[in-house]
Parts: sequence; C-alpha cells; structure tokens
Amino acid sequence: MSLSVPGEAARPREARRRRGGREGSALTPYLYLLPFLALFLVFVVYPVGYGLFVSMHRWDLLAETRPFVGLEYYRNLFDPETPQSQFFWNSMKNTGFFTLVSVPLLIGTSLGLALLLHRPIFGRAFFRSVFFLPGILTVSVMGILWRWMFDNQIGLVNAVRTDLLGMQPLPFLSTEGLAWVPIIVGTVWWTIGFNMTLYLAGLGNISQSYYEAAEIDGATPWAKFRFITWPLLAPVTLFVFVTTVLASFQLFGQTLVITAGGPNRSTQSTIQYITEEAFSNNQFSSASAMAFLFGLVMLIFTYLQFRIMARDARGEN
Amino acid sequence: MNRTVKVTALLLAAGLGGVAAAQTSTYKGPKVTLTYLHGFTGADRPVMERLIAQFNAANPNIEVKAQAQPWGTTWQQLPSLVASGRAPDVVVINEDQITNFVARGAVSPLTNAELQAAGINKSRFYGPLFKTADYEGKSYGVPISSVAYVMFYNKDLMKKSGVSKVPTNRTELLAAARACTTDRNGRKPGQSGFDPKALNTWGISLYNNWVGSRLAYAAILQNGGSLVDKNLNASFNSPQAVEGVQFLVDLVQKHNVARPNSTEEAELAAFSQGKVCFFPSGQWYLDRFEQQKMNFGVAFVPRIGTKQDAAWGGSSHMTLPKQRAGYDANKRRAALAFVNWMTSPTQNLAWTEAGSLPVMPAVANNKKFENRPIAGVFSKLGNIYATSGFPWGGQVLGPFDNAWANAYSGKQSVKAALDAGVSEANKQIQQARKTFQ
Repeated sequence: MSLSVPGEAARPREARRRRGGREGSALTPYLYLLPFLALFLVFVVYPVGYGLFVSMHRWDLLAETRPFVGLEYYRNLFDPETPQSQFFWNSMKNTGFFTLVSVPLLIGTSLGLALLLHRPIFGRAFFRSVFFLPGILTVSVMGILWRWMFDNQIGLVNAVRTDLLGMQPLPFLSTEGLAWVPIIVGTVWWTIGFNMTLYLAGLGNISQSYYEAAEIDGATPWAKFRFITWPLLAPVTLFVFVTTVLASFQLFGQTLVITAGGPNRSTQSTIQYITEEAFSNNQFSSASAMAFLFGLVMLIFTYLQFRIMARDARGEN
Repeated sequence: MNRTVKVTALLLAAGLGGVAAAQTSTYKGPKVTLTYLHGFTGADRPVMERLIAQFNAANPNIEVKAQAQPWGTTWQQLPSLVASGRAPDVVVINEDQITNFVARGAVSPLTNAELQAAGINKSRFYGPLFKTADYEGKSYGVPISSVAYVMFYNKDLMKKSGVSKVPTNRTELLAAARACTTDRNGRKPGQSGFDPKALNTWGISLYNNWVGSRLAYAAILQNGGSLVDKNLNASFNSPQAVEGVQFLVDLVQKHNVARPNSTEEAELAAFSQGKVCFFPSGQWYLDRFEQQKMNFGVAFVPRIGTKQDAAWGGSSHMTLPKQRAGYDANKRRAALAFVNWMTSPTQNLAWTEAGSLPVMPAVANNKKFENRPIAGVFSKLGNIYATSGFPWGGQVLGPFDNAWANAYSGKQSVKAALDAGVSEANKQIQQARKTFQ
C-alpha cells in the first residue's frame, strides 16, 4: 500500500541531507530503539519463550524435577477423553458464540446511537454522556448490577414479568442459553459508549457538502446513509470491528461475576477456563498450552482482519 | 509442664476474664526479626495489627514484621518465594489451599517435639480443625481463625407458622419446613390447589452456588460419606452421599418446601424479609442480621444424615514455609513461639472480634459469648469439617459444586449428577497426580 502525498519526491534528498549533517552514523536509529528493544526482550520475548518452555515440561515451581513432556499438554487438548479437551473446546465454543452475537450488536447499536446523537437534538451532550458513562464502571460493578437485574427471584426483569405482565419468572442465571442474556445485554450497555464516541468522531469528519449534493439529486435518507455515510465510515467501522472482536475474545470478567461460568460451564469463557486450570487446579503447563493454542487462534483472526483492512485501504486508494 | 502451659492453664482456670495476661515466651535466644505474611486485609486487619504490636511489646527478642496482602496474591507468590529461598518466616494459609502447598513441598512439617517445645498443645484445639492442616500423618499448621456453615432461623416466621422448636434432625426439619410453607393463596403443601411455583413463605433456603453446595457436603459427611476416599480419589457418589443429597433435593422437588432455581442473593433477601424460616449459610452473615435488628437465631446444621453431626467450616492456619539450607534455627524457634502466642486462648478470644469462631473449647466457653446468637452452635464446634486433606482441591470441589447445581436445579438426577461429577474429578486428579510425583 502506498499513499501518494504531494511533495514526496523531495523527501529522500532532505533525509539524506539530515543524516549526513548531524547524526553521522547509520547506527543512531538503532541506539534510539535499544531501550525499547530491551523492554521488548524482557517483557515480551522472554515470557513467551518461558511460557513455551513451561507448556512442554511437567512444570511446577516447587517441583524438584521438571521433566520434558514435549507436546503432551497440547495433545491432551485434542484427545476427547481428557477433561481439558472437553472444557477447553467448550470454552472456545462459548467465547465464539459470545463474539458472534455481541459484535454485530455492539457495532449496530453504537452506530445507531451515534447517528441519533449526531443530529442537533435537544439535550445532545447529556445523552452522549449518559451512554458513555457505564464504560467507566469496573467489570465487577457492571457484573453485580446485571446479575441483580436478571436474578431468578429478586431481579427487576423477573419482577416486571411477574408483577406487571402476569408471566412466570424465567430462571436466567441457572438455565443454559438464557444465562447469556444478562451477559450480552450487560456488555452492550457497558461498552456501547466507547464505540459510539468513535462513530461520532467519524461522522464529524464527513463533509456536509456530500449530503447537500445528494439532496439536490433528491436522495432519500436511506440512500444518503447507504451511499455516503456507510462507505465513509468504513475505516471507523473496521477499527471498531477489530477492537470489538479482540475485546470479545478476551471475555472474562462479565461471565465470572454474572454466572461464574455456569450453569454447567455453559458460559465459561476460554480465559476463565485457562485461569481455573492454572490457579485453581495448579496445572500451569496445561494452562500454558491452552494459552498458546488460544493465542494462535487469535493470531489467525487478527491476520485475517489485517488482510481485510489492507484490501480496504487498497480499494480506497 | 513448662511455663507457657502453666500460664495457659491458669488463664483457662480464670475463665480468661478477657484480660490479656503477660505470657512468657519459650524463645530465649538472641534477637531475631520475623517476616509474617497474612491475608487478613479487611475489617480483621486492625485486630491482627493490634495483636502483633502486643506481641512485639511483650517479646523484646522477637520482632515480627507483618505484611497483609490479598490471599490470592499470596497463593501466587508463595511458590516463587520458597523456590528462590526468600520465603517469609510465617505464612497464614487457608484450608482450601493448605494441602496443595503441603503436597508441593512449600511448607515444612511441625514435629511433635517442636510443637511441645513451643508450648503448642494440639489437644487445646477442636480436633477436626487442627487436622485440617495435617497430611500423611504429619502436622503442618496451627489454626488461628475459623468460619462455619450454620443455620440461621427466623423466630417471627417460625412462631407465626406454629414451629416452636428449632429442628435438629431430618424429621423435625421436614415437619418444620412444611409448617413454614404457604403459597400465595395461603395453601400448604399437600393441600389441593397448592401452587409450588408461587410460594409466599417457605421452609428452607437452598441455592445453586458453592455456598449452597456446602449443605450437600454436610449431608454427605453426616451420612458417613466423604468427598474423597482413602486413596484421595473423588468419592462423593457413594450410596451415603446420594442418599443425603437426595433428601435435600427432595425438599424442593418432592416436598415443595424450598424454592427451585434460586440464588444466594435471592434467598438472603427472602430471609431478611421474613419469607423463609431457615437459611443455611456461612456464619459471616451474623453481623448483617444483627445490624438489621432481625429477630433471628443461629443453630448448628440439623442432622440430615444418620451417622454424625457435621457442618462445613473454613479455616486459616499459621504455617512455617520451607526455607533455604542454612536457615537460622533461632528464627524457627522464635516463629513457633510467635505461633503459640497468636493461637493461645487469650489471643484467640481477642481474634473472635474479627468475626472468627473460637478455634478451641476454652474460648468457646467464655462468658463473653453467653448472650450472642452465635453461641447456639458452640457446643458442636468440634463437628466442623473443612474440605481439605487432598492436594487437588480445585479438581474435586469444582465438579462437586457443579454436581450440586445440576441436581438441585433438576437438570440431572442426584445419582447421575454426582456420578458425572466424580468421573470428571477423577480424570482431573489422574492428571494432577503426575505433577505431584
């Protein structure tokens, strides 16, 4: 991808002049990078390498021997007889389900809100703040709040169902499938403000002249959205999509607080299961193997997203 | 009889009197500094800090430097502290973690001779509580703090329902729970037209989380069952276990005296509002009900099983981590003297201010508790059992809690739920064993 910028041709000469003038050494940029390289080695490369070592040994800090077991813990994840395989892939399925359902919701609702709040309506600043505010809460506060709202017996949702609508209460927190409702609704409520703000910024950058031209041509509001707003918001949508997918993959706190992964592990996320395997079961090697496999899946997704982004940028050029 | 034991005996004879009498330390060596790591970070922190200050003032040749940090942080740090030879001299470890740390070699055994030399007498503690920190015949810790599962009861609702006696066994519990239960139209279980889905008041709180499953644990122990067998494999699907848990599940599904699919928060709210007669839970709710000025009482968990009284309890134990070679023997002796002082009757009595139950009968008999509602359970504190003794706590308790939730919600039969839980637990234990070889 290359962006054509006016005056680009003049730059190499300028750069050569600067390099020849003050710094004088080709090593200089690398010296500037050195502190970051050191941090990168200590906090990224070493932990990743050590994690890989842990996942291939029967590892415990206190053990006298830490025998090499090769890919045993990775193989366990593909052996249907082991609980690790059963629960890891169950948690992957749960995380995937959450991502699949929540991402379109998180993008759609935040875009809708942004479109509404971009108009010069009364109390616009107030509503913008109201929708942004939940995002400042910690996950535990948000989780407790939505657990109460959807409690089988004392929750507001069931109180409305029984007392106002005369219906039977629904046991949201202890029914497989239904337990996702408070988690997904809570997450949308909690994170909608951030995406909305990004979309508002994107909308602010679209020149009014496009809309004026479209109006002269007699375009309907839908046509204006379809052919002006949506394509020009594409870079924002891509950014929102990538960050929301990554955040959804990292689902942890919401399920931990609202359902504790239950009922019957039906809402247990991958990170939650890895944490359980490491710190509740003290199986650090097994947890490391899971983390690497999970990381690999995330990497593939990120790669695909970058491919899409690159293609989009080429298309725009 | 050494001096400390004499002093302790004198204190006991005096009924403790609430007076912090000076206690002579068994440590006579040169001045040492001890590091002490504990997780009492809440309302209990000032009490612990006051006790440490008292100890330091009374023992010029031992300086205890304490560090309070969240329990979870300690569980993560302890292995690396021990492995790097920088372990603190004394660490408090909870019942659900201790056997794991023992089996992994993070904690050192306390020999009888050492305990005796420091003045620590095992028999002054409740038996099952002291044994919580035992593993393969050796002792690894001394109990300092204890919590327990109890049964709160609402006196007003019981009176209104015509229940005059707090139930102590299965038959009485079922009869009392039936008397407490009415649907929205005032009908009782068994009456025609009774609607179990619309209870107005009910007998007993059951709920789907780990706290709720501790009543199932009590039922299993009371029937003579256990979570693990003698080889430490999961065994909570024994006939005794199935029978005990079935009784609890029947309270919901057959007798309709408990709400189905309920949560701890919902039952807690219902008990506070006078809608349920019996609320089994941790004794830690005592303060809350007292502050609400509820007309309530506290009883030991009724005997649902046939063999023995039993209830779940949690505990904290003072332990001495494994130290590097060449560790100062004076420090170990001083650490044991500190453990002895902190777990002595006078200090334990002071420690109960932090919400703990007494860890020894001598303290439970103190007049201070006479009029407290919690005193109702004191005569059976010796029947409290922790979920401990196996190094794979997570692998056993996770599947057990899940099995309870599935049985209680009616998703699976009791037998099928417990069988599935045991099968899962044993697969996990099989893999965990390799780590401990």
